[in-house]
Amino acid sequence: MKKITLAITCLLASWQVTAQETAQEQQFSTVITPAFTPVTWERLVDARNEPENWLMYSGTLDSQRYSLLDQVTTDNVHQLEMQWSYQIPVIDRAETVPLVVDGIMFITEAPSNVVAVDARTGREYWRYDHEMPDDLRICCGRNNRGVAILGETLFMSTLDAHLVAIDARTGNLLWDVEVAAHDAGYSKTAAPLIVKDKVVTGIAGGEFGIRGFIDAYDPETGERIWRTYAIPGPGEFGNDTWSDDSWRTGGAATWLTGSYDPDLNLIYWGTGNPGPDWNGDVRLGDNLYSDSALALNGDTGEIDWHFQFTPHDVHDYDSIQIPILADIEMDGRTVKSMLWANRNAFFYTIDRANGEFLHGKPYATQTWAEGLDPVSGRPIRVPGMAPTYEGTLVAPPIVGATNWYSPGYSQDTGLFYVTSFDGAQEFFKRDEDYEEGERFTGGGGRYLQPMDAFHSSIRAIDPTTADIVWEFPIMPRSSAGITTTAGGLVFTGSADGYFFALDAATGDELWNISLGARVHAAPMTYAIDGRQYVTIASGNVVYTFALEE
Amino acid sequence: MGQISPLRWLGLSAAALSAFIVTSLPSHGEDAGNLYNTAVDIRLGQRYFERQCSRCHGFDAKGNDETGAPDLTGRLNRASSDAGIFNIIREGVPGTAMLPVDSEVPDATVWQLVSYIGSLRYDPASVELAGDADSGARLFNGAADCSSCHMIEGEGGRMGPDLSRVGENSTPDDLMTALVNPDADVDPRWWQLRVTDREGSVRQGFRMNEDSFSLRIMDDNAELWSYPKNRIANYDRIETSTMPSYDGRLTESELDDLVAYLFSLRREVQQ
Ligand code: HEC
Ligand code: HEC
Repeated sequence: MKKITLAITCLLASWQVTAQETAQEQQFSTVITPAFTPVTWERLVDARNEPENWLMYSGTLDSQRYSLLDQVTTDNVHQLEMQWSYQIPVIDRAETVPLVVDGIMFITEAPSNVVAVDARTGREYWRYDHEMPDDLRICCGRNNRGVAILGETLFMSTLDAHLVAIDARTGNLLWDVEVAAHDAGYSKTAAPLIVKDKVVTGIAGGEFGIRGFIDAYDPETGERIWRTYAIPGPGEFGNDTWSDDSWRTGGAATWLTGSYDPDLNLIYWGTGNPGPDWNGDVRLGDNLYSDSALALNGDTGEIDWHFQFTPHDVHDYDSIQIPILADIEMDGRTVKSMLWANRNAFFYTIDRANGEFLHGKPYATQTWAEGLDPVSGRPIRVPGMAPTYEGTLVAPPIVGATNWYSPGYSQDTGLFYVTSFDGAQEFFKRDEDYEEGERFTGGGGRYLQPMDAFHSSIRAIDPTTADIVWEFPIMPRSSAGITTTAGGLVFTGSADGYFFALDAATGDELWNISLGARVHAAPMTYAIDGRQYVTIASGNVVYTFALEE
Repeated sequence: MGQISPLRWLGLSAAALSAFIVTSLPSHGEDAGNLYNTAVDIRLGQRYFERQCSRCHGFDAKGNDETGAPDLTGRLNRASSDAGIFNIIREGVPGTAMLPVDSEVPDATVWQLVSYIGSLRYDPASVELAGDADSGARLFNGAADCSSCHMIEGEGGRMGPDLSRVGENSTPDDLMTALVNPDADVDPRWWQLRVTDREGSVRQGFRMNEDSFSLRIMDDNAELWSYPKNRIANYDRIETSTMPSYDGRLTESELDDLVAYLFSLRREVQQ
């Protein structure tokens, strides 16, 4: 391999040869592959204590996206320099959060491919291209957000609503199971979550009148072990919160990744909007468990408790945000909390042991609710805010005050960080009949102002009070996630193509670089041989930064 | 179905109707190919559009900054005939988010979409205007001195948008509003930024571009300036227009003449 490189180099001016040779030598001097060791469940539980690796979509099972790496700090972050970039060969937006295991990075690409690269150089080991049918039903573009790993196997959701297992050393396909029928409107884009000896995964398709669920699969065989529907069936608790047969096509997609608490043995997972999105007349009632947080038993998948953020939603305020689990000091006691900045513009602190609402407040502009009931946390609605045939102006707009992009939490500051949007939109209602595989949304929206007239910011929220501690304004509307580090940093991106770092305590701007294309992904950080790297996808390129050696 | 009348879609108010008359709406004279162009077809097309296309093109088909899906109510970039629009919907625009419709969607539905999109536009030749375009052109370059700020076909000033094609995506009503109430709808590109640097000196100019960490302006002398936001003391946005209102400054008939002239500024339609 080296010979070929040198042969080509010889064609260039001779003075370049020596320089390139030394550079090549340095770059490939360490062989990393043999260091790759199987990722056991114990390693996943303890992922925070091997910060050199990024072992799951949200970093750790509590989804804080808080890394203990502290080589890059508030003092030196301005010295970050690009080390390499990897161009995804498919022109589509990259929403991927790569994993890094012992020096190997796994990047997912649109529509549902994986590439393994050397995390030090961005150069490829192998790739897996998923075979895709040509009759996909997808609401929102072709994308994939990442893989999960257990042992030496990667697990990936695919757009055609399959779950596949891939050998992490070669990219070979181990098994491929259909989770649901793609031609009925089901699809999959989120990274699965490993819970003990199972692969737990949700489903997308909330704009197609699906019935959402959360599944667990055997990592060895791909056999399904349990399925918990996000909409209860006849005879089950909550089925009567749907008028007539509307529960059958009620949506409640589970289209992102959840979190897990090993001590409580509970899986936390958010659910999406009820369908049809903007016409609630055909599904009267609270529409359980749409727009809810579900706590499922880690072994059986049974629902232990639920908390519904937006009963009878008519604005598409999905509650699929990633649940951040954090132990916080409140009123003189340690609370095992679940922190949630919802698409509906309210921030919630919830007791994750039992689902009890502790408090909540708006963290972004909203006009649809007067507030939350202080005891139950149920929103008190402003009358006249439902979509109409003529259009009703409501904040937040359909895309929400936040959405699927990961929030972050820092154990050093005790603050919760969210990418937020202060916007408004006219919501329209339409009458539609359900047809399998067709969009089933019952309306839509339009902006009355140019995007630049709205506001976006990164907001830091104190979860003990739900107050905003600082905010950093950026141009609307970012869909970048957040990662925090023990170096006192918040890393995130912007809609106008910047990757930047803020001081986690104060929100002060410390560093930014223009990557030129919208950031649709969350950053992640890892280390090799004692050197910390920070990675982000922008446009369809994955960039990696580190301090100069 | 929503009761949104075609006139509402054109953004026309009753007042505007007194200024000009739309004689046929929509006009499909040139396209014998589309057999699905009755009022019912247009409604069905609208219904399908709202369901399948509005999430990118907007519920009013006026486009969406974020998805990059263009305004379909004015002149299209990629098609000038019904057949051309049909092909875009059937085949998509390769390499963009504009995917083809599902192969199972019948041709009839696609033609209904074409009819609906057609109903959002109108044949400019069918619009009768009160003013005289030639007089408008003379005013523009002469007494009214519009050309000191606006370029047309490479001639004129830089302190306003290039108007060479302004007739393509504006109704006569839009144009009249632009003249008598410039503050009504100012594109963010023509907002102004007043930048105060750390020494306290101030520079103001058009907001050529603003992003999360920097901004670029053009001042009165058409000089271009670029600032990192973290190196300045502060900046203000001025979202009103720098164009004077001509309400009362020009006579009604002069305004009509200018509107007639501006409305005529469009590319030749090649069929
Ligand atoms: C996923 C977003 C998306 C959806 C859904 C979508 N479009 Fe588009 N459409 C686009 C984009 C982006 C372009 C611009 C492509 C280009 O030229 O770069 C476009 C372009 C077009 C054009 C050409 C416009 C011009 O100026 O030439 C037409 C016509 C069109 N779309 C019609 C439709 C119709 C009808 C539907 C529903 C069946 C639809 N689109 C659904 C994103 C979308
Ligand atoms: C002092 C500079 C100036 C003068 C003089 C001026 N304009 Fe403008 N004009 C602008 C600016 C700046 C804008 C963009 C902001 C806005 O929409 O008002 C604009 C916008 C417009 C628009 C809307 C363009 C669009 O794309 O929608 C029209 C039409 C227009 N001007 C016509 C005229 C006419 C006709 C005259 C002469 C009677 C004139 N302007 C004189 C500065 C000027």
